[in-house]
Amino acid sequence: MNFLLDGFLKALELLFSGDPETWSAVSATLRVSALSMLASLSMGIPAGFLLGYKQFAGKKQVRLIVDTFVALPTVFIGLLVYAFLSRRGPLGDLQLLFTLPGIAIGQTLLALPIVTALTATAVESMDRDLRITLMSLGAGRKQLFLSTLWESRFGILAAGINAYGRVTTEVGISMMVGGNIKWHTRTVTTAIALETNKGMFDMGIALGLILLAIAFVVNLSLSFLRKK
Amino acid sequence: MPSRIPVYEIRNLKHQYNGAPVLDIPELSLPQNSITGFMGPNGSGKSTLLRFMAFIDEPSQGEIRYKGKAEKPFSPGVRSQVTLLPQTPYLMKRTVRKNVVYGLQLRKDAENAENRINEALHMVGLHPDIFAHRQWHELSGGEAQRVALAARLVLRPQVLILDEPTASVDAGSIRQIKEAALQAQKEWGTTLIIASHDIQWLHNVSDQVIHLFRGRIFGSGHESMIFGPWEAGEKGLWIKKLNGNLHIAVSPPPAENSVAVFPPESFRIGMAEKYPPLSFSPLEGIVSRLSLENRSGRIIADIRIANICLTALLNPEEAQQKGLYPGRQVLLYYDPYAVKWV
Repeated sequence: MNFLLDGFLKALELLFSGDPETWSAVSATLRVSALSMLASLSMGIPAGFLLGYKQFAGKKQVRLIVDTFVALPTVFIGLLVYAFLSRRGPLGDLQLLFTLPGIAIGQTLLALPIVTALTATAVESMDRDLRITLMSLGAGRKQLFLSTLWESRFGILAAGINAYGRVTTEVGISMMVGGNIKWHTRTVTTAIALETNKGMFDMGIALGLILLAIAFVVNLSLSFLRKK
Repeated sequence: MPSRIPVYEIRNLKHQYNGAPVLDIPELSLPQNSITGFMGPNGSGKSTLLRFMAFIDEPSQGEIRYKGKAEKPFSPGVRSQVTLLPQTPYLMKRTVRKNVVYGLQLRKDAENAENRINEALHMVGLHPDIFAHRQWHELSGGEAQRVALAARLVLRPQVLILDEPTASVDAGSIRQIKEAALQAQKEWGTTLIIASHDIQWLHNVSDQVIHLFRGRIFGSGHESMIFGPWEAGEKGLWIKKLNGNLHIAVSPPPAENSVAVFPPESFRIGMAEKYPPLSFSPLEGIVSRLSLENRSGRIIADIRIANICLTALLNPEEAQQKGLYPGRQVLLYYDPYAVKWV
């Protein structure tokens, strides 16, 4: 059991000594997750809102598909994106394979169904009296739409946090699309996988702690937006 | 001087949910600056009708004219004039002040806003210094209901529709809500439309009370309803057995489980010797409540007979002459053929 304790102590040392390899992985994780969250939120929030707010033929079926995509395995997304971005693939000319934007595309595919499904649920679960209240206070169609969006902000926030959690902790996409290239596409999670394989538990634990710290900082910075 | 154009004219209104009829109102007219009460059991269509009158939803068929013009949801002509307070009001996730000012912001009406917000909060008995900056989750149920009412009152609406405004609030809030609504009607000429189970309040304040039952209008709200099942009796009449070997006889019902509706005019209260014997027996009962119908000055007498309660209307002189008081034993004479069936 001593190797675990040694690993934990080594982790603290790595973190506070500013080890460049560690911080390279942290930087890659932050940049790629920022890109993928920007893309998935800007597409997923409007799509989820419309899915929850509007009534249309085939809504149930669309909802079923989106909910199913929430459970997409990351290795499967990785495989698909790899196939599309590889030299022989339809998007091979973009030369995005083994790059951070390439990983971001895969992570966007991972986060998009989560943001869409949870936003739709947040909007659907709004009190039915909200519509009556807004209309009875004189809201027009546009005001009704915008106010409903604002009123469901806590649910949408939860959707974003949930998706961010999935994006920063996934390994399959980063490994397959990014290739785990040192100083380049190595993220925190792929580094953990590599270091564990090498038996370097201290580095693995250090990176795991950093991942937790990132999640904590993100949640802390969003906590002021929460209800209470 | 009240306008002669009715504030509402409803024609041939029909509505169905999943094919089942829930409202059927051939004609209804409400005058401006009046108070109209709607009463009826849960599921009678009151809330649905109020949502139509507030132009929140549209009926399956028919027309609702507002001040002489057929209107629909989101029409500019009604959006700024008609407002509805639903039974369970929704407060937006913001402070009391922001909830109250929301409607004014929608109208881009900033004139004298601060005073109007304070006035509306005072009307519902909430002091602005204490409540204006409270968050929506820092209010009790009664306070939330009053904030929701203040959000409507700040708009000084032409029509204020209240759906069971006092159904789930404390006694203090009930008084404040009632007073604020009446103040709006008195000061701004707001037409009030109120749905409530508080029948006595409705009869006290309303210019007219409309009784809704199973989506249809049944007179003034004094009607007595007797639910089936009915059994064949003597002389071609059908009977409903009441507790204590009593029964009430009626004309043949259309179905065994039909509901009999007796208008108050079909009852006479008295002693056996004062009225000539009729072809059927009077019912023995006791006066359970006497109240005043404000608009007509008549006395509403609720007579408890076994396990049912029937309502009769009397002139004050008649009530005095008969020496009626709650608890007094009386005989209730009625005409079995005056019954209407639902």
